[in-house]
Amino acid sequence: MAEVTLNFPRRDARDKLRGRTRYTIDRDVSGVLHAALLRAPVPSARILRIDTAAARAMPGVRAVVTAEHAPGRHGIGIADHPLFAAGRVRYHGEPMAAVAADTLAQAQAAAAAIVVELEPLPAVITMAEALGPSASLVHPDWRDYEVLVEGGAHGGNVAWEATVLRGDPEAAFARADVTVVESLFRVGRQNHLSFEPRAAIAAFEDGRCHIETSTQAPWTVRNVTAHLLDVLPSAVRVTVPAVGGGFGLKFDCALEPYAALLARHAEAPVRLVNSRQEEMLTCLSRENAEIRIRSAVTKDGEIAGREAVVLMDCGAYGGEQIFLTTMTAHTLGGNYKLGSVRLASRAVYTNTAPNGAFRACNGTYNTFALERHTDEICEAIGMDPLEFRRRNVLGDGNLGATGQIFEGDVLGPMLDRMAGLRAARPSKQAQAGDRLYGRATTVGTWFVFVGPSAATVNLNADGSATLVTSGVEIGSGSMMQGLPQIVAHTLGLKPQDVVVRAADTDAGGYDVGVGGGRTTVSLGAASMAAASEVRRKLLDVASGMLQTPPEGLTLANGRVEIAGRPGTGASIAEVAVQAQKLVGPIAGSGSFTGPGVAAMPGCAAGHFIDALDIPVFAVHECEVAVDPDTGHVEVLSYAVVQDVGRALNPRAIYGQIQGGVTQGLGYALHEEISIGADGSIRQSGFETYRVPLAQDVVPVEISLFEGAPSIGPLGTKGAGEVPILNVAAAIACAVANATGRRVQELPLTPPRVLELLLGRGLPLDFPHIATAWDDNLLRPLAAASWQGRRMAGPDAPGP
Amino acid sequence: MALLLTVNGEDRTSGHGAMTPLVDVLRDEFHLKGAKPVCREGFCGACTVLLDDHPVMACLLPAGLAVGARIRTVESLAPDGALSPLQQVMEEHDVVQCGMCFPGMLMSLSGFLAVTPRPTRDEVKAALSGNVCRCTGYERIIDAVLSL
Amino acid sequence: MRMKTGADTFHVATTLHGAVAALADRGHAGAPLAGATWIMRAPLRGGPQQDRSYVALSRIDELRRVEIGERDITIGACVTHAALASALAHIDGCAALVQAAASSANPAVRQVATIGGNLCAWDFASADLVPALICLAANVELTSPDGVERISMERFLARRSELAPGTLLSRIVVARTACGSAHVRLPLRRSGDYPVAIVSLAVKLGQNSTVLTARAAVGSVEVVARRWETLEAGLVGRPLDPQAAAALAGRCLDDFVARDGVEAAGWYRLAVLPSLVRRAAQALLPHS
Ligand SMILES: Cc1cc2nc3c(=O)[nH]c(=O)nc-3n(C[C@H](O)[C@H](O)[C@H](O)COP(=O)(O)OP(=O)(O)OC[C@H]3O[C@@H](n4cnc5c(N)ncnc54)[C@H](O)[C@@H]3O)c2cc1C
Ligand code: FES
Ligand code: FES
Repeated sequence: MAEVTLNFPRRDARDKLRGRTRYTIDRDVSGVLHAALLRAPVPSARILRIDTAAARAMPGVRAVVTAEHAPGRHGIGIADHPLFAAGRVRYHGEPMAAVAADTLAQAQAAAAAIVVELEPLPAVITMAEALGPSASLVHPDWRDYEVLVEGGAHGGNVAWEATVLRGDPEAAFARADVTVVESLFRVGRQNHLSFEPRAAIAAFEDGRCHIETSTQAPWTVRNVTAHLLDVLPSAVRVTVPAVGGGFGLKFDCALEPYAALLARHAEAPVRLVNSRQEEMLTCLSRENAEIRIRSAVTKDGEIAGREAVVLMDCGAYGGEQIFLTTMTAHTLGGNYKLGSVRLASRAVYTNTAPNGAFRACNGTYNTFALERHTDEICEAIGMDPLEFRRRNVLGDGNLGATGQIFEGDVLGPMLDRMAGLRAARPSKQAQAGDRLYGRATTVGTWFVFVGPSAATVNLNADGSATLVTSGVEIGSGSMMQGLPQIVAHTLGLKPQDVVVRAADTDAGGYDVGVGGGRTTVSLGAASMAAASEVRRKLLDVASGMLQTPPEGLTLANGRVEIAGRPGTGASIAEVAVQAQKLVGPIAGSGSFTGPGVAAMPGCAAGHFIDALDIPVFAVHECEVAVDPDTGHVEVLSYAVVQDVGRALNPRAIYGQIQGGVTQGLGYALHEEISIGADGSIRQSGFETYRVPLAQDVVPVEISLFEGAPSIGPLGTKGAGEVPILNVAAAIACAVANATGRRVQELPLTPPRVLELLLGRGLPLDFPHIATAWDDNLLRPLAAASWQGRRMAGPDAPGP
Repeated sequence: MALLLTVNGEDRTSGHGAMTPLVDVLRDEFHLKGAKPVCREGFCGACTVLLDDHPVMACLLPAGLAVGARIRTVESLAPDGALSPLQQVMEEHDVVQCGMCFPGMLMSLSGFLAVTPRPTRDEVKAALSGNVCRCTGYERIIDAVLSL
Repeated sequence: MRMKTGADTFHVATTLHGAVAALADRGHAGAPLAGATWIMRAPLRGGPQQDRSYVALSRIDELRRVEIGERDITIGACVTHAALASALAHIDGCAALVQAAASSANPAVRQVATIGGNLCAWDFASADLVPALICLAANVELTSPDGVERISMERFLARRSELAPGTLLSRIVVARTACGSAHVRLPLRRSGDYPVAIVSLAVKLGQNSTVLTARAAVGSVEVVARRWETLEAGLVGRPLDPQAAAALAGRCLDDFVARDGVEAAGWYRLAVLPSLVRRAAQALLPHS
């Protein structure tokens, strides 16, 4: 096959640099109405009355809708989420009504004129409150909700519970030769702050709804909108222009159903765009979490048993966190060989804005917790943290938490690679001056979220190919670089000869969405399959033209050649023209989904993914200087060794790593969200929500680790999601190393670090996490544990 | 009364009120959608334009204050489709991601490079200290600038 | 020149007298508009839309000048942060003001925001120029239909939220003395943030760096910046020693009732003051 063109430049760069790219917020639609949402001003209340009469009578108003116009509920795992607060307000900022009017000012004025009578109800703002003894329920009628996926225990303020049990942790902790180390951690939320807010334009055409939107998941938007509008999914078409940043925020349906509902009632196109303040107030943030983790470790550093409870705040509705309870097993339960393990991961309802998916999701804080815990273990048993990691990282044939068998030695050699980088570069300790100097090396495990994708490739008579998928370009470049490269490689074309169709659910087949590092892998594999079908058909026709069997033909540089006789063949364009005459235009279709790697039966309960189809590993290292007077942390150096499978676009991957590490620095050091007593998010925009600026970052030293096993096309793995994974871990471990303090919380803002240094803060205490692990569970693990124990028998180290 | 504005060398008339943020006049009335209203509070820089050659935040500038000044937007950098040297190095270094911050970044940098043709790395960072990029992590943009 | 705005009219003044007259004319419906960087964000602070009848000051040439005299420096209220920093860059004794003007906000805001606006934004606790001017013992000049009045910074700060319609801050006057000055601000990120605490310090040093006179001001800690007299008193008469100054500051923290904010709690603003004092003192020592 032809060589892969490496470092293929992005075709969307020019227009973006010229200010010509039209994102959803930039689109002009003639006759478009502007919409505004009326949002709840309290975290919990009974809605006694909503009177829209006055609002309807205001100038320019074309439609006003409320819960009565869209009574359905949607969700992930459990259908708990109505479009509008119905009967009850569950979070500050929850939409109660929507207005469409000729101008935005008119829509806002009318929304403000809607009369709402609320009777305040008790609110649970923190997880401690939500799990407290006499907590009020966020969803008193949770029993009546439709369960969309069976398997997770749920009840009261626990939206979902996922558990893992492998081996006999009880016995491991009881062993005489182990040291038991316990750590507690707490992290706050992180806002994506994507530059383009959530935005949608909806219009009805020929009885169907067309939505242009800034999303990562057009098919989710299509299906959820249809469900809430009570129409067939096929009555909704979603198209997606360039997206101004997603990072997971746009992996869910958001504003689209409001715009669609208003468009239906107003019988005109409707545009709805969140203001930055609304984005801050209602962002589907990376969730805040609380973690208790304990390990039983021998003096040689063998981890005989590990147990943990992870509480994830899902806010008022379950959403993505229900799914993400799964990822605790693979992140907090990842990285290291474990003799036995039990984990409980719980999504907890609170009367706060719902949370969502954010680049590497709970992997970031589970890795923070795991790596800090690992350093606390090393301190307890007196072992060098690097040595401990070298001995314990997962290698070929080792069992993961859910009993999946890992293939290949990856983390070990990556640690060696990092050691090489360290040896080659002088320490930056001198730059710390009078400040406290620290360093740390951390490891992390993440995955590629595979799942269904579809692709069609049309071979055109001019020798170009058109790739049709439902993939979205959110900025990472996968749709602009990786996909055309894969198709071009299969067909012997230049990547620039592959036209990539912008996402359109009327054109491309089903796709889970762009996120989870899956674009190059899932869409790539589907595209490769589609291109392979085209290749076969092309070679068949060429075979007739060139009087040579297909096996004797090669495809390269836009030509079909008889093997070994360059120049004797025909151009692909000529073959395409011939094909049109003989058999009709050549097209191919392909699809892909995860192969479903096996876990050990009975280990995991309530999980959406029992084992990782494509694990991805990372090793990060950093040096920091901590100002003892002010608590400021300066990052002196940062280095990443990342498992990429195979790098098609090293430059683009470097860009993803520099950007992902920077977002991670924000998470670790600057970006703080606090929730006021009124349940609203106190940071209202860029002034108070601080992301890293140019002067807060350093150039990341990067080494791409190639060759680890991957089922991705051409051996690729997703490279865009994982760079953020262990940044908080690396920074926190380095700050702990510098200060000698127990770092238990993120972000490490200057006040928080100074608090640590001055010993001001109280140690963490989680009364709502029971000391005995089993006491945390809604559903006792009797059956599963029996099976888990039996299955894990041979692997469990004896006492 | 209409506002007379000079945008990218062209005289234009706006029917908006004098207190309308310049960014809205540029986008909604003149269809110059390069400048992005991302924060509307002066902290992100995505709306940066040049006002008499100085970078300013168009979200905080009442259009009435721009009367009589030369306004330049990102659309003026490559008038005939030929990228400016600054745009060219950005393309060559493959630094663009979602692209939303670039119109503002490029205007901040154009204003800065016009008075500081041979900047140090630290000077470039300081010049960009009002321009947030959520995607790239800055350093590679700065590498591109320094390659000019 | 008059232009239509949503609610009322927008007037671009070209002379100080014209501006004063136009404002007096508008009474409470009117308001001055300088760089507009504070005014345009009023709705985000939960305030009303920009529904006042604004009189723009930025075309008044006489308010855009920095005059550097033998004894005084006179700064027009419409001088921008950027212009101020560059005009005074090499003038002895003004370091605090230059550092304040050059390091506040970000480059594009410094290009537009004015010294007058910074001083008149009475609901803004973190203004950099306020403590810098307090430590330099600046006076401000107010111009109203009744004439011109010169008052101290302290008196101005007490009065600024209720200036009568038609009263403008026209100039700021800083006496040239043999003092050295420094402005140490603490943002949470390296740049681009409001400072959570500021120490501005001006001292006159004698033999062996003995402090002859001292004026210190603290900004962003309380709602309005103010002098730190106990610190000043403790510094005078002793050699300037950064460590000792910091220790002294640590003993005088009870002088302040620090404000809690979204970005930092009051205790933090107080806790960092000693080290800001140390840094300011360090900057004022003659370099050996
Ligand atoms: C992104 C950003 C970051 C910032 N960071 C900082 C920082 O780090 N440090 C800092 O100090 N500031 C900072 N600021 C605040 C900024 O300095 C103020 O917004 C600015 O100084 C106000 O000046 P202006 O000319 O824009 O005032 P305007 O917004 O025009 O006016 C402010 C107020 O003063 C009144 N006023 C203006 N001029 C006069 C006058 N001559 N007489 C009487 N009343 C008058 C107006 O009526 C109004 O009430 C920042 C601002 C932004 C947008
Ligand atoms: S939109 Fe103007 S600075 Fe952010
Ligand atoms: S490229 Fe997305 S914000 Fe900069």
